[in-house]
Amino acid sequence: MKKHMLLITSILKPYSSLLFLNNKYVGALLLLITFTNPSVAISGLFGVLFTILFAELIEFKESYLAQGFYIYNSLLVGMGIGFLFSPSLISTALIAMASAFTFMLSFMLNRLFSVYKIPILSLPFSIVTMFIYLASLKYSNLLSTLLNNATTFDIQLPLIISGFLKSFGTIFFLPSNIAGAMILLLVLYFSRILFVMAVSGYYFGITIHSYLIGSFEQALYDPYAFNYILVAIALCGVFLLPTWKNYILALIGVAISVMLTDAISILFSYYSIPVFTLPFNITVIVFIFILSMTYYKEFNLEIKSTPEYSLSNYLSRIFRFGKTHVRLSLPFSGEWSVYQAFDDSWTHKGEYKYAYDFVKLKEGRTYENEGLYASDYHAFGESILSPVSGYVVAARHDLIDNIIGEVDRINNWGNYIIIKSDSGFFVEISHLMQYSLTLKVGDYVESNAIVAKCGNSGYSPEPHIHIQAQYLGVLGGFTQEFCFSEYIQKKRLFFNTVPQKRELVYAVIKDRSISSRLHFILDDSFEYEVYLDEKYIENVVFSVRMNTYSQFYLEDVLGNELYFYNDAKQFYFYSYKGGESHLRWLFKLAPRIPFVSSGTINFVDYLPVYLLKGKLESAFIEFLSTINQNVYKQETEYHFDGKCISSSYGEVYLESTNKALTLISYNQTQLRRKL
Amino acid sequence: MSKLTYEKPTINKIDFVMASKYGSPIHTQKIRTEIDGISVNELTEKFGSPIFVFSEKKMEELYNNLYSAFSSRYSDVQFGWSYKTNYLNEICKVFHRLGSCAEVVSEFEYQKARALGIEGKDIIFNGPYKPYADLKIAVQEGAKIHVDNLFELDDLEKIATELDIVISLAIRINMDIGVYPQWSRFGFNYENGDAYEAIERMYASKKMKLVGIHSHIGTFMLDANAYRNATTKIMQLKEQVERDFKSEIAYIDLGGGFASKSNLKGIYQSTDVVIPTPDDYAEAITNVIYDLNKSEKLPKLYLETGRALIDEAGYLLTTVHGYKRFPDGKKGYILDAGVNLLYTSTWYNFNIETDRHYEGENEPSLLNGPLCMNIDIIEENIALPPLNRGTVLSISPVGAYNYTQAMQFIRYKPAAVLIDRDGKARYIKEVDDLSTVNYKEI
Repeated sequence: MKKHMLLITSILKPYSSLLFLNNKYVGALLLLITFTNPSVAISGLFGVLFTILFAELIEFKESYLAQGFYIYNSLLVGMGIGFLFSPSLISTALIAMASAFTFMLSFMLNRLFSVYKIPILSLPFSIVTMFIYLASLKYSNLLSTLLNNATTFDIQLPLIISGFLKSFGTIFFLPSNIAGAMILLLVLYFSRILFVMAVSGYYFGITIHSYLIGSFEQALYDPYAFNYILVAIALCGVFLLPTWKNYILALIGVAISVMLTDAISILFSYYSIPVFTLPFNITVIVFIFILSMTYYKEFNLEIKSTPEYSLSNYLSRIFRFGKTHVRLSLPFSGEWSVYQAFDDSWTHKGEYKYAYDFVKLKEGRTYENEGLYASDYHAFGESILSPVSGYVVAARHDLIDNIIGEVDRINNWGNYIIIKSDSGFFVEISHLMQYSLTLKVGDYVESNAIVAKCGNSGYSPEPHIHIQAQYLGVLGGFTQEFCFSEYIQKKRLFFNTVPQKRELVYAVIKDRSISSRLHFILDDSFEYEVYLDEKYIENVVFSVRMNTYSQFYLEDVLGNELYFYNDAKQFYFYSYKGGESHLRWLFKLAPRIPFVSSGTINFVDYLPVYLLKGKLESAFIEFLSTINQNVYKQETEYHFDGKCISSSYGEVYLESTNKALTLISYNQTQLRRKL
Repeated sequence: MSKLTYEKPTINKIDFVMASKYGSPIHTQKIRTEIDGISVNELTEKFGSPIFVFSEKKMEELYNNLYSAFSSRYSDVQFGWSYKTNYLNEICKVFHRLGSCAEVVSEFEYQKARALGIEGKDIIFNGPYKPYADLKIAVQEGAKIHVDNLFELDDLEKIATELDIVISLAIRINMDIGVYPQWSRFGFNYENGDAYEAIERMYASKKMKLVGIHSHIGTFMLDANAYRNATTKIMQLKEQVERDFKSEIAYIDLGGGFASKSNLKGIYQSTDVVIPTPDDYAEAITNVIYDLNKSEKLPKLYLETGRALIDEAGYLLTTVHGYKRFPDGKKGYILDAGVNLLYTSTWYNFNIETDRHYEGENEPSLLNGPLCMNIDIIEENIALPPLNRGTVLSISPVGAYNYTQAMQFIRYKPAAVLIDRDGKARYIKEVDDLSTVNYKEI
């Protein structure tokens, strides 16, 4: 049974992939639509089936097939053959041959391209069909269907609309108004962004083309105008995030593809080969190549089923977890003050601007008595804690701590330690106290562990902690932008940001007693008794599961999935799949639980819009956020005291003794942990 | 300009010490003009001299620093105020207000804590000598009793029989933690199995059960690693007991012994260099608990820190009564406070600070107390500028042990002042008089 489901999915997914959607129902509908031209439909289906058979033959892994990734090119090839020849035994044999070749070519190209993180798109299809059409010039034994294609039943529409619809249909080898309109409606239902991009990409391309060739009508009749649609969708929505900037990039891409389409069609027409998707492939691959190599910021790193979902996932991530992955903990405990911030007036300049200096203040001063001795300074002798987990790659602590007022101009950095974080970047801390290092090069250090004491060595006018992130693990390496993963200011917990100059920051130290309560292991299950208005209703069980991407989630009996992660400093939920449920509420009630016990603290979290709003409203907000991302920012205030996390939605309790959440309460509903 | 007073000329050898990394000792004077905003001269004028001065603000700061170092890493932590460190009522009240329970080591301290309104369950009763009658009261009031020896265990069994209850107890253990001298006088030894036998004995009687394990590894511990070792052994014993006796050890108690920023004699580095930070102690202890905890539940962590919470908050202000020039040229000052008030002078070099800047070169000086005893020397060799009669010297840190161990000897025991959080000074104990000394004499 499961095998059959997998097979059906493998057949249907490629259809939706052609529209960059990932949904088997879309696939099913598209399959139906293709039957407006039975020859195309049957040949396409054969293409998919033959590919799956071939994959079985060479014992290809099922999981690859399920993604539909290696199959959609064969589908296109199959449809291409069906478009050209009527189904017959010989054409079927041709499809079988071409499918196997396309599949192998897809795999090969993907392996080569993935080195540079670029997609193969429908390049294998372009190549294979090129060969087939060239070869078919000799195949008089096959019945051409080209004449039939033009005469199928259709409705009449003004050229300006029918040009667009037919182009859209051509993506599935169905150049008719009806097919085009049906596909368009499908797109509109699943993604407004795709719809807008398709429309604007098409008409922008047509406009450019008409100016170049001098005829608007002729431009509308161009059979290869669907390339504009594909370029626009791919560049603003699929591979790049749907944002304003990418909208402009997409239009530039469309303009380029206009020129490529004409150029290629002139060359190809000599040999009677259709251009198909070659202009789209070239344009998009070139764009993706450069943007991926240069770490373009609005690149869509996690392609989800729709552009809306990709954008929502991206916005949710940057609002909740910050834009940079270079995250440090504060390198001390207690409350310190920012002495120099990024790009500051004294020494944090140029390539060294991404650094922070901290001093300790009491009653507004960094020292007591007259500040004549290093020991008068509150910072002197304080423990320095590791800001990351990682290996010590370089360190020194033989330099003396300067007399106040003198600095060591030769050994600027003074005593220092460089740690290579587990995430790959390096952290350097300077001006350590002489002989205070507790580690040596090669040691592994956990974040928050004590590494040394604050001193006054190097170019340091008074005892302070200097910290910077670097690309390289050498002393004096250029600095890299970073943020502090968490700190407290006035009882408010901030995540993934940096404090301003002269601000006081209170460091967060991981309370392992909280993290251990949330250390969920695969197959753990937690049973709760549900009460409504204090009346017992039923029992529910949440179990810990893992998907094929090694993502962990809580699952209830209805199959709703709540994805969670337990990182070094906090436990958080980040994604939910399913309908209305207790798990969905749990996401809202405790989107993150910081491992902090510093009295009662407040913090703000930004929940994904789909969690807070109805379907229609979320769709509207998601669409608007392509124009203004702040629309997506839905602020919720939380309070946490180490035992209870509360908000306007309700409360969730942890217990010091047992794993998991002991009480979940919202509205009139209470879930009590059953032990 | 007033006429300069005549001073007999002398020739002094001045130790020329190269400027160290902390500056030059020759031209610098240590000065303390005020404590928490109140001038030291005003304090002595208003409250008399000598006088002990305690800063509530500093106490709070020390408490919060140490407490947050632990609580930020381990949420279930409870401090117990070590009464013997300083049991002036107002001082105890400050720590109780901050959240400490009481840690007492005698029936007297127990009574003092009860008189301050502390409930039995919030009192940890330690110590090798617990009289039977008082032990029984403590049991009845639900105090946390930390057993020190087998005789005490016999007493407790008898009390349990008399009261017909099962007593929940904690055991004090001692062990080798790699530090010399090893404190082995209190409690039962861990390595030789005494501790385990005592626990067996408890369960065999069926009248007692173990709920806590306590150790106190020493005092002024300069190596946080010692606590790592101690916690390791406590956690090992905890696991053993929980497994063998199917019981739950609800709490562990690491005692005290954290160093304050005092200059121990024989150590010449700055206190910032040698004294572990609160983070050092907290990390050492909490990491081991997390790593070695085998039961579902994490134990509550008790600490009985005294010195590290009060020492730096206490000052003794004393006034120069006169001076002499000794035959060897050294200058000797006579102060109104002596070693009978400064019990810790045996092992500390105090910070001695003058009330203002004085003209003249620093010269080697000797500080004498008022006692007519040859041993009454507070500092044998200290570089001071020429001081006048009436100069107020601040001696610190003296918050821990000095007041409780100060002795009424030759002179009356001095008063104590607390500067509260609002910066207002008030008596928390007045100076003794003849009737105090004669009280209860027959």
